[in-house]
This record gives sequence, structure tokens and C-alpha cells, in this order.
Amino acid sequence: MNLIDIRNLSIELKTATKPILAVDHVNLKMREGEVRGLVGESGSGKSLLAQAIIGVLDEKWQVHVDRFHWRGQDLMRLSPEERKAVITKDVAMIFQEPMACLDPTATIGEQLEEAVDVAQLSGFFWQKRQQRKLAAMNLLHKVGIKKHQACVKSFPHQLTDALCQRVMIAMALARRPILLIADEPTAAMESTNQGQIFRLLASLNQLKNMSILLISHDLENVTHWTNTITVMYSGQFVEAGTTEQIFNQPYHPYTRALVDSSPKASSMIPNKSRLMTLPGSIPILQHLPIGCRLGPRCPRAQQKCVHAPKIKSYHDHQVSCHFPLKDSYS
Amino acid sequence: MSNVLLQVVNLSKSYKDKNYWLNRRCINALEPLSFNIEAHKTLAIVGETGSGKSTLAKLLVGAELPSTGHIRLNGQTLEPGNFKQRCQHIRMIFQDSGTTLNPSLTIEQLLDEPLQLNTDLDELERYQLIRETLQKVGLLAEHMNFYPHMFSGGQKQRISLARAIILQPQVIILDEALASLDPSLRSQMINLLLDLQQQMGLAFILISHNLGIVRHFSDEMMVLYKGKVLELGKTTDILQNPQHKHTKKLIMSQRFQLLNR
Ligand SMILES: Nc1ncnc2c1ncn2[C@@H]1O[C@H](COP(=O)(O)OP(=O)(O)O)[C@@H](O)[C@H]1O
Ligand SMILES: Nc1ncnc2c1ncn2[C@@H]1O[C@H](COP(=O)(O)OP(=O)(O)O)[C@@H](O)[C@H]1O
Ligand code: SF4
Ligand SMILES: [Mg+2]
Ligand SMILES: [Mg+2]
Repeated sequence: MNLIDIRNLSIELKTATKPILAVDHVNLKMREGEVRGLVGESGSGKSLLAQAIIGVLDEKWQVHVDRFHWRGQDLMRLSPEERKAVITKDVAMIFQEPMACLDPTATIGEQLEEAVDVAQLSGFFWQKRQQRKLAAMNLLHKVGIKKHQACVKSFPHQLTDALCQRVMIAMALARRPILLIADEPTAAMESTNQGQIFRLLASLNQLKNMSILLISHDLENVTHWTNTITVMYSGQFVEAGTTEQIFNQPYHPYTRALVDSSPKASSMIPNKSRLMTLPGSIPILQHLPIGCRLGPRCPRAQQKCVHAPKIKSYHDHQVSCHFPLKDSYS
Repeated sequence: MSNVLLQVVNLSKSYKDKNYWLNRRCINALEPLSFNIEAHKTLAIVGETGSGKSTLAKLLVGAELPSTGHIRLNGQTLEPGNFKQRCQHIRMIFQDSGTTLNPSLTIEQLLDEPLQLNTDLDELERYQLIRETLQKVGLLAEHMNFYPHMFSGGQKQRISLARAIILQPQVIILDEALASLDPSLRSQMINLLLDLQQQMGLAFILISHNLGIVRHFSDEMMVLYKGKVLELGKTTDILQNPQHKHTKKLIMSQRFQLLNR
């Protein structure tokens, strides 16, 4: 069954003059138990999309969506409050800077106990207090923190980034989510610590069958940890498919450029040669090109590209480009 | 030996451990190490968190004083206290240098600052040099009157690079300066750095976790582990034929991530 099925989600930024289409008709589909990467360079609208899914965008933004199904249920038929209730029950999110999300004045233990689901507790209040403590310890155990005694007594600033992120994941697990959205959970960390967090997420996916939407600006970084990948650029849908399809046979010029631009430890391009790269940089919201927004940077762009391309689907591999690279692989 | 630009001899650093009573214990952040770099060459430094990479960088730019050893540039010993001499020749770019630019200064003022502090150039000469430097990093002379917030992340990186090369240094240290960049920006930046190396004969010291970048960018590499040098040699040799089990683990972990696909 599909866990989530979103079609044509758009997010507009209201301005004094005319609204700006920050996210432009994006699709996102996930199966139960899947780890999907959501990839695109900074400013592609990944965080906006995630915030729209969990319904936390403020009134500056206007969200339109043609279809929003959650585990077979049509959420658009529900009132906003009912929708919010379904989502808060089943979806949790963690962010880039764990330190900033924790309360600096309270211990980790206090914050964890706060996060424990009341529905799991029973009995009188003194029994509940004990259960809360136990539940907090359990959560720390689940995220692989062995020294829980020391950890619960610490304040956030006394822990490393990676430890804080583990605590954030523990808090997210408190509500036993079905989907965890991880918005660049390791972006602010050194890469030796990144591995720890990715491994933890992978084990939660396997042991608890928790689905994960793993957001990253770096395609190469997440390929090892995902089953499928959706690529966005400047608020538009680019391409979606299995990780193999995206990494080995990308159909979209942007994905191709992402794959080609990174020197790999194993690849054979000559030392110190020029790397393949797209010229220029991602446009800001105030200067979005019309049609395909990659146009000004795209090596394959032609006149037709001033009109936004429609999504073409080849089995499970979708691409949004007038001139996909499909035929270049034989 | 004639081409040696930077010569590091027996350099080490220990910090007093503040957690211990009467400061009796020391942390050896860096055990004595020696190496040479030639012009046009890149030395990569890899190692896990806490292995002493940033400590070495700080010693080289003079932000920290070494416990032992000394550094020679073109055969001349750099005096520990002589910042002016050192600033000019050895520059450093940090991880998020794009965000550390002073927001209240224009690009011209930002680039003028190191020139006023370190050179005797007059106003016109400085203006000319700023123009040329902006062009070298792929920006326009018109950008001089812009403020940092008017630039994208990639352009800000170029400005910090311009700031680093404007004194025409001989060595540039990149401490994870490429790590947080978007991939397309990162490859633009690598191309630019390689071009500058060719034009100006710069030597780079590249601190990076990404072995792909290390392989592409560097000529020699050094593997640090708990403040000790495990391996030092040609990058291709070490990557193809690592001697130490720790190096092997480092290489395997990244190869596994990519080749498994
Ligand atoms: N609060 C905001 N006000 C105005 N523009 C915003 C705001 N948040 C995000 N944006 C803009 O929306 C676009 C998408 O942002 P975001 O979703 O954060 O991208 P990503 O997460 O992919 O880096 C960017 O151009 C960004 O500048
Ligand atoms: N100012 C300092 N005072 C005390 N110890 C320090 C200081 N700076 C670094 N260290 C210690 O030196 C060691 C090496 O650190 P560092 O050079 O930052 O490593 P790396 O950059 O490889 O991650 C670490 O154990 C660190 O705790
Ligand atoms: S639609 Fe045109 S501009 Fe857009 S990616 Fe395809 S070829 Fe390039
Ligand atoms: Mg984001
Ligand atoms: Mg460091």
C-alpha cells in the first residue's frame, strides 16, 4: 500500500504584488517501509515541501494540492483540524541543527520525559512518573545511547552534535511515528559522525519498519541509505525513481549533472582535471525563470523549455524534461 | 629540495587539560611531525574527528603557538610572533567562510582591509588589485559596491577566496571549506581552485573527509590518527595500497558507500 501519495503540490508565497510560486506542482509518493531520499541543492524547496506535509507553514504561504492520500485515506476530505490530527499522530520530523531544537535550560531527561506519549502511561500519578522515567531510558536505549544515566542528567550544550541528534530522534520515536521526515539531519556534522546517524536511521527502518523521508542537498551522501530518490530543483519536480535508476541512469539533465559533478574515490577521471559542472547558481524566488527553471543553466535547453515540461513516466521512473536522456543509454 | 616551498620540522602541540586539577595533565593534540610542500602541489590531510587536523592548520597560519618545532617558508624560518609576515603568505579558508563575511562592509571594503593592514600600496593600486582579484575568482568589478547579503552562497565562497588570495599568498589552507557546499557549487569551486593553482603556483593544504575530492585534488596525502601521522606519501599510492589498518577502514567505508550501488 502507498504510505503517502501527493500530486501537484504547490506552495505560494504571498507578497504585496503577486504571489510567488515557490514550489511548483510537485509529486511525492512513498510506499510503507520505504526510505526515500529528497534531494536538490539548497533553495530547491525541500524544507517547504516537508513543512507543507506536516502542516506547519505559517499564513505567509498558501498550499494547493490536487491529491493528498495518507495510507489510502483521502486527507483532502477531512477538515484541516482532522488532517492535522492524523498527521501529528503518525508523522515526526527532525531537523538540521539538533542543538537549536532542544531547550538549553532543561536536562535531556526532562525534555525526553516531556515527549513521552501519555497514552502509554497508566495508574496513579506517582506510578506514571516512574513509567515516564523508564520510557525515557527506553527511548535512549533505542537510539543506541549506552550511557543513559549520564545522558539524562546532561544539558544539550554538554553533548556533541551527533548525540543531540540521537536525542532528537529518540524524542521523535516517543510517538511511534510511521513516517519520520529527516530534514538534513547530518548537514551540520562532520562526516564521521554523519555515518552514525545514517546507520541509526537505517536500523530503525529495518527493525521498526519505520518509513523515512531523508532530505539532503548532496545526492552522493544519501545513495547508500535510500531505496528510492526524488530530485527537486528550484521548487520543481525533476525526477523520481529507485536509487539505482537515479544514480546509474538518470534521465534528467540536472540529475546527470549532480552525479557527474562529484569526484568519486573510485572513479577514473584524471587527477586535477576539470570537473563537470553546471554554470551559474540556483535562482532566488524573486527571479525565477519561466517554464523549466533549469533552463538558463541547462546544457540541453531549447526553445521549447520556456514552457514547463509535463512529467513523463517510464514504469517507476518519472522525469520532468522536454528532452530527457532516456535514449542516451542503450 | 630546491622546489620546497613550505618546510615543517618537528611541529607539535599539546594542550593543558582544563578538567584536571593543577593542570597536571596534557593532551597531545599533535605529536611532532615533519613534511614539505612544493609550489603547485596539494597536500591532503585526512583523519577522523579529533585527530588533530585543525590543530595543524592553526599552527601553520599562526593562530596557535607550537609546543615544539618550526616552519620554514622558502627556506626562511617564520617567527611565531610575526603575524604580518605569515598572514601574507599563508592564508586559510574555513568551512562556513561565506557566512563569516562582515555584513556591514561592501565587497571593496572587505577586500581592502587585508591590503591596508599588510601592504604599502596606495589607494589606486589597491583598487586595481581588488578589480583583478574579483575577476580571477569569476566575479565582476561592479560587484565591488555590493554587500555580502546580495550574493548567493557560492558567490560568497568566491569572495572569501578572493580575500584569501588578494595578498598573493603562497599557501592556502582549506579546512573542510568544501564540505557543506552544494555539489554543483563544490565542483565549480574545485575547478576555480585548480585554475588558480596553475596560474599562481599556489600550494594547497586540503583538510577533507571526502576521499573523492582528496583523490582528485591532491598530490600527496597525510593520514592523522590521534595526533600521530600514520601515513604520508603520494595520494595514489596510499589510496591504492594503504599500509595501516586504520587507513584501510577509512577508504573501505567510503568505497562501500559508492560501489555498493
Ligand atoms: N520564510 C521564508 N521567507 C521567504 N522565502 C523563503 C522562506 N523560507 C524559504 N524561502 C525561500 O523558498 C525557497 C525554498 O526554500 P527551502 O524550502 O528552505 O529550500 P531547501 O530546503 O531545499 O534548501 C528558497 O528560495 C528560499 O529562499
Ligand atoms: N583549544 C584547545 N584546548 C584544548 N584541547 C584542544 C583545543 N583544540 C583542540 N583540542 C584537542 O585537540 C585534539 C585535536 O583536535 P582538532 O585539531 O580540532 O581535530 P580535528 O580537526 O582533526 O577534528 C582534540 O582532542 C581536541 O579536543
Ligand atoms: S526541459 Fe529543457 S531546460 Fe529543462 S531540463 Fe529539460 S532540456 Fe533542460
Ligand atoms: Mg532545507
Ligand atoms: Mg577540525
